[in-house]
Amino acid sequence: MQKKTITYIKCFTTLLVVTLFSLQVFSQQQTITGTVTDAGSSAGLPGVTVSVKGTNISTQTNNDGRFSINAGAGKTLVFSFVGYEGKEVDINSRSTINISLAASTKGLEEVVVVGYGNQIRRQVTGAVQNIRAEEFKDIPVSQMTQKLQGKLAGVQINQTTGKPGQGMSVRIRGQLSVSAGSDPLYVIDGFPITGNIGAINPDEIETISVLKDAASTSLYGSRAANGVVLITTKKAQKGRTNVSFNTFVGLQQVPERGRIKMMDAVEFAQFKKEYYEDAGQAVPVEFQNPSQYEGKNNDWYGALLRKAPLQSYNLTVTSNTEKTSTALVAGVYNQEGVVLNNSYKRYSLRMNTDYALSDKVKLGFNIAPSYVYDNTPRTDGDRGTGILFNALHTWPVMPIYDANGELTLYNKFPGNTGNIFDYPNWVRAAEQLTNETKDINLLGNVYAQYQPIKGLTLKSTFNVEYLASKFFFFNPSTATSAMNVPVPTTAVSIRQNVENTTWLNENLATYTRSFNDHNFELLAGYTNQHFRQENTRIQADTYTDDRLPTIQGALNINRGGTNNGVQEWALTSYLARLTYDFKGKYLLTAAVRSDGSSRFGSANRWGTFPSASVGWIISDENFMQNLRHVSFAKIRASYGVIGNNNIGNYTQYALVNNTVNAVFGNNVATGAVVTSLANNNLGWETTKQFDLGLDLSLFNDRVQFIYDFYTKNTTNLLYSVQVPQEAGFSNFNDNIGEIKFWGHEFAVTTRNTVGKLKWTTNANISFNRNKVIALADGIDRVYGSFHITQVGKPFGQFYGLIAQGVYMNQDDLDKSPQIPGRSTVGSIKIKDVNGDGVITYGGNEDDRTIIGNPFPNFIYGITNTLQYGNFDLSIVGSGSKGNQLLVRHLYSTANLDGVFNMVEEVKYRFRSVDNPGKGFYGTTVGGGTVTGVERDWMNSRFIANASYFTIRNVTLGYNLDFKRSKTIRSARLYAAIQQLYTFTNYWGGPNPETSAQGNGAGDGGNLSQGVDLSNYPVPRTFTLGINLNF
Amino acid sequence: MKTKITIIALLVIATTGCKKFLDVPPETALSSATFFTKEADFQQAVNGAYAPLRTIFNDRSWVLGEMHSDNTYYPRNILFGAVDATENVADFALPMSNGVTTNGHVLNQYRQDYQIIARTNQILATIDDIEFDATSKNNLKGQALFLRAFAYFELVRYFGKAPLHLTPVTNRQEAALPLATADELYAQVESDAKEAAQLLPPKSVQEPGRVTSGTAKTLLADLYLWQKRWSDAETVARDVVTSAEYSLITSGYEDVFSTSTGNKNNKESVFEIQFMEGSAGYNGSFIYNFLPRPMTSTELAPITGTSNPQSLSGEGNNIPTPDIIAAYEPGDERKDASIAYVTLSQSLRTNKVYPYIKKFAKPHALHGNTGTNWPVYRYAEVLLFLAEALNEQNKPLDAAPYLNEVRDRAGLGSTTATSQTDMRDAIYQERRVELAFENKRWFDLVRTDRIQSVIVPYGNRVKANPLDYYYPDGAVPPNNAFTILDPYYGLPADESALTPNF
Repeated sequence: MQKKTITYIKCFTTLLVVTLFSLQVFSQQQTITGTVTDAGSSAGLPGVTVSVKGTNISTQTNNDGRFSINAGAGKTLVFSFVGYEGKEVDINSRSTINISLAASTKGLEEVVVVGYGNQIRRQVTGAVQNIRAEEFKDIPVSQMTQKLQGKLAGVQINQTTGKPGQGMSVRIRGQLSVSAGSDPLYVIDGFPITGNIGAINPDEIETISVLKDAASTSLYGSRAANGVVLITTKKAQKGRTNVSFNTFVGLQQVPERGRIKMMDAVEFAQFKKEYYEDAGQAVPVEFQNPSQYEGKNNDWYGALLRKAPLQSYNLTVTSNTEKTSTALVAGVYNQEGVVLNNSYKRYSLRMNTDYALSDKVKLGFNIAPSYVYDNTPRTDGDRGTGILFNALHTWPVMPIYDANGELTLYNKFPGNTGNIFDYPNWVRAAEQLTNETKDINLLGNVYAQYQPIKGLTLKSTFNVEYLASKFFFFNPSTATSAMNVPVPTTAVSIRQNVENTTWLNENLATYTRSFNDHNFELLAGYTNQHFRQENTRIQADTYTDDRLPTIQGALNINRGGTNNGVQEWALTSYLARLTYDFKGKYLLTAAVRSDGSSRFGSANRWGTFPSASVGWIISDENFMQNLRHVSFAKIRASYGVIGNNNIGNYTQYALVNNTVNAVFGNNVATGAVVTSLANNNLGWETTKQFDLGLDLSLFNDRVQFIYDFYTKNTTNLLYSVQVPQEAGFSNFNDNIGEIKFWGHEFAVTTRNTVGKLKWTTNANISFNRNKVIALADGIDRVYGSFHITQVGKPFGQFYGLIAQGVYMNQDDLDKSPQIPGRSTVGSIKIKDVNGDGVITYGGNEDDRTIIGNPFPNFIYGITNTLQYGNFDLSIVGSGSKGNQLLVRHLYSTANLDGVFNMVEEVKYRFRSVDNPGKGFYGTTVGGGTVTGVERDWMNSRFIANASYFTIRNVTLGYNLDFKRSKTIRSARLYAAIQQLYTFTNYWGGPNPETSAQGNGAGDGGNLSQGVDLSNYPVPRTFTLGINLNF
Repeated sequence: MKTKITIIALLVIATTGCKKFLDVPPETALSSATFFTKEADFQQAVNGAYAPLRTIFNDRSWVLGEMHSDNTYYPRNILFGAVDATENVADFALPMSNGVTTNGHVLNQYRQDYQIIARTNQILATIDDIEFDATSKNNLKGQALFLRAFAYFELVRYFGKAPLHLTPVTNRQEAALPLATADELYAQVESDAKEAAQLLPPKSVQEPGRVTSGTAKTLLADLYLWQKRWSDAETVARDVVTSAEYSLITSGYEDVFSTSTGNKNNKESVFEIQFMEGSAGYNGSFIYNFLPRPMTSTELAPITGTSNPQSLSGEGNNIPTPDIIAAYEPGDERKDASIAYVTLSQSLRTNKVYPYIKKFAKPHALHGNTGTNWPVYRYAEVLLFLAEALNEQNKPLDAAPYLNEVRDRAGLGSTTATSQTDMRDAIYQERRVELAFENKRWFDLVRTDRIQSVIVPYGNRVKANPLDYYYPDGAVPPNNAFTILDPYYGLPADESALTPNF
């Protein structure tokens, strides 16, 4: 009876129903009283069902967790509560029984948030994984997605850069697109947000549900193809007012392991000396005596790093009276970055309030403002852009500090030393340039809910998301982060203000009905969402005084860098769902959403996204009752069609650019050109997904196992198809092609020991695969930066020549295919893939081929939690196997012309037939004509294996219970290490998860993933924390 | 009850006006659907069609038209790599396979020409549907037709064949067209240039810097010479000469060329590419490409006269060869006006003195930012066109006065040639020095069929005496230098990959 009832519980009605039950009155003769408390927080647990075993006598605990029940001595009391592990207690002769219940991690009766509603886990027919905040509360990072690393089957979460608050790449089931965004849709309390999920204070979160298959996501229609992450924020539980305070402080530092080993000053000078000697030229005076640089090394990269503190404070107050429930979370997060002058701060507040006006009418109001401050030097990027890459390849003989201990202005050696750049002082650049963003975020919802008749609920919500972002960049005259710019330089300021406003109105009707063994729920809805962004950018330069970087303080406004823009979209949708079960064991869900979007071409404005799923709880069948070890078994299958509308707001339109001006004499004349072709048929990307799943619990739920197989086909990919430029355009935006994805996901939870030592293991492993089935007609391949996406092959493979060492001697050279005009003894030797006897890069006789794969064979995660007495310990690890990275920075850091500093390995290059080194790096003789090949022609030397396993987090906690104190109830102290150690053979840099491109939506970088440009390293963090409950 | 009403009200509000709600055109950009509707739109569109010329002449023409000849070479800096795109053109060693090349200069030239063609097609396809002042319309149409003819004339001379687009492309399927033959392209250039010559006003009426009827006729003369249609060439060249719109600048050869801010579109100018100094992005920088390096800021300062000279690294380009330096007759005032010398203290060569092109190197305000215009057609060339057209019709004596007018301005005496053959050589030689570094040399070699007789011996000289061609001691040209002597460049490989037609 209880189970069935819960099936019908929908959005925010849980509390109401629980209250009704708790008002039921029972009368018996012998009375046993007691209190049921939460084993974690020691708070009284209201609504717990207490029954006498073998009878139909039962009751529920009141608001304080107290109960009173009549039962005979010698009987057994059964305590059960959703989301908690049940307990049976023999009464013996006691009249008072106080017990505590522990939250179950993956209880089958657990309420799972699904799209537009809740279900209990055993009834779910889609592929949904949910996580409660307790499971990641100790992980000392700023972003929710960081906390989820390694916890989710089928979800690859990579931290591509260590910049605080940034750089998380989340891909559900390996979803990819050629050019549309592939980030999942984040939905907070029912509101699909448009802003940055990284700005949400993780302490506000109560549960996270990850919807993976089409049946779970299809109610999000044209936004569902990348998967959906549902986030539910904290609500007050029925009971007394709870106050908790959580804080941690930590220290971060970049581990030595994995840092790129560069030449020091002596080694570099030695290289230069040999360079000139080998070329038969006079050695410049600066390098005639390398030992003069003994003790004068300048580690430019290391000079940009520091140890940095972080701290976090969160106060949570929840209170629930008869009519009003309120949850308030206030948080402060303050992180200094491990790169100089980098800091990230977040101040956040959330208040969730529900009012029950009557039995039939409920109102709710959530509001969550936050302020995020971020100042990050321009650490990441290619040569000339990212200061970390630039520092890496700066000559170590160039001084960071001058004789007076002051930072040098910039560094330059005479032209005959091969120094073709003026190197800025990167430390100066990091310290003196301002690159800050200040964001004010506001997320708010109001709703009204009305139950006109039994079983029917009408709900209308209005949601608003607002972002006011202020970006400020200032390059004072005393520093620069660009090559070849002498200091003092021209001071430049950039101001960019962005304002985003999103609103969403949703109107939903839910009707639930049961008769006999048939249980129905019907959902119908109509929604409208609108987004508008306005931005203004002003770039000014030539300041007379660095202390006043105002706009009016500049002598020049840079017209090219001064502009404003508007981005806008609108979405109207109809949605419906039927959920049906027979006897609670034959399950069926069918759903459909129809989306009309302003992004779609006028001839193709509406898309419809249906899905269906079925489930069979096979363990409820009689024939399964004999299998005593199987406590639960469910088979699931689903199929659905979903879309991806991240195709840009105005992609369908032909645009005219009226700033392509001409000059006549000394006059500028406005010029206008058509810059793109219109496409009235432009639409969403379509994904059809099939999922087959098995949920299995064995040995009294000691082992829980979930398996999913999926296959999906994404078609109509948005692609800016390259057209021959004889057309006057380079591209035509079209929906083309097909990519097939398939994979297996396994997740297992085992309670290894349940006695005094409680040891639980959660592990998951996922295999994701893809293959390109078709691209546009007449096009069988598209290229990325150093990548190829080719029909019949997996997406985005590394593409280049196959390096085969160097030509060891004249005989080797004569007998091997060569590059006309460029191959010499000691230069890089390339495999003649097309067998024409000549090595060619590009063109019709290309010798390039697939040389690596940025996608792993499998990803995996494992979490162990142990509890013994007052101690708890958790260890989280995750990894990836079989993927490769392209070590792009080698095009500078292994530039054999000696214009940059180089990786130490270049010491072992080919110098002569008698001194061929390791045969990896080639001769320096012949200059760019010879050395340019191995540097500029992408080849397999750049590819490195990036399999890894990282121990993400180890936390040791100690729990204190203050039973006698009236103020403080419990406390927990803990120590944690984040990013403890990475096991990997990756040699290209400290972070095997990195990717310079392909992080963002719609940046066209999807084709070019897995490029290491020496991004901001991910620090190791030591923290101490305390949780207090009052 | 109140709640119920509110919900219903919300539903009603939300449901109405759904269609408009989903119509969200871009607010901060114009869209083509509403653009080509009034005179001002076409004025802007014509201006937009001129824009690619800046890129072409600043970055490409001198690579493909001058470095690809015996007039200029690159001063090898062995400390610097990734310069093979330019070197390959100068070395006649472009990577070629199946008639296509991966060279980036070739690709960019091709694409920029088609930008002009697509923009002018857009104008010509719609301008007649919109009513506005006939004089203005003729002028705009004439400019569009000229620019299209100019672009196709570049394409046919560089490649010998090219796709012929005459209407705007509206979808992906129309983007690739078959290659048209040289004759088909010539015919299109001729018909566009002829119509432009009729529609365009003369120079005295036209806004300075825009093309004129004289420009169109000069282009026609160039085309006819290329096609060896001598009498047609004579007719149009004579039209320009007798129009009284142009004359030679007699105050000195160096006064012929624009400075960074003045002397633009002067009386000798028939067509020049317009640049403007300053931060707005209309500037040129080609003279910096024409300097040898590594050059210190001190060495650079006297050449550019800027307030913020910066050192130049990398490899320079377009350095006058000993061949062109020797080509000037004694007493030719053009030599010192065209070529000067600079000593590079950081050069790896024993001889640290390099020549550089002086005729465009005019003082300007800021490093890397010049306003000097590029001369495409000058009246001096029109005179030489006319002389050549007459001589090829076996009228060497009629040709002589026009040749002498050019020689006289250079401080030289009258030509001694009297026979047709001698006169042909004299005109060819005069073109070389009068129009040196104006991207004429390669086309002259092709149309006079002199690739074998000029480039082969030149290549042998470079390979035999690399030190004379600015190589550092010990360095030599690549071993595939001077191996590809085709009259046309290969079509660009990146385009070949996108079209089924080549």
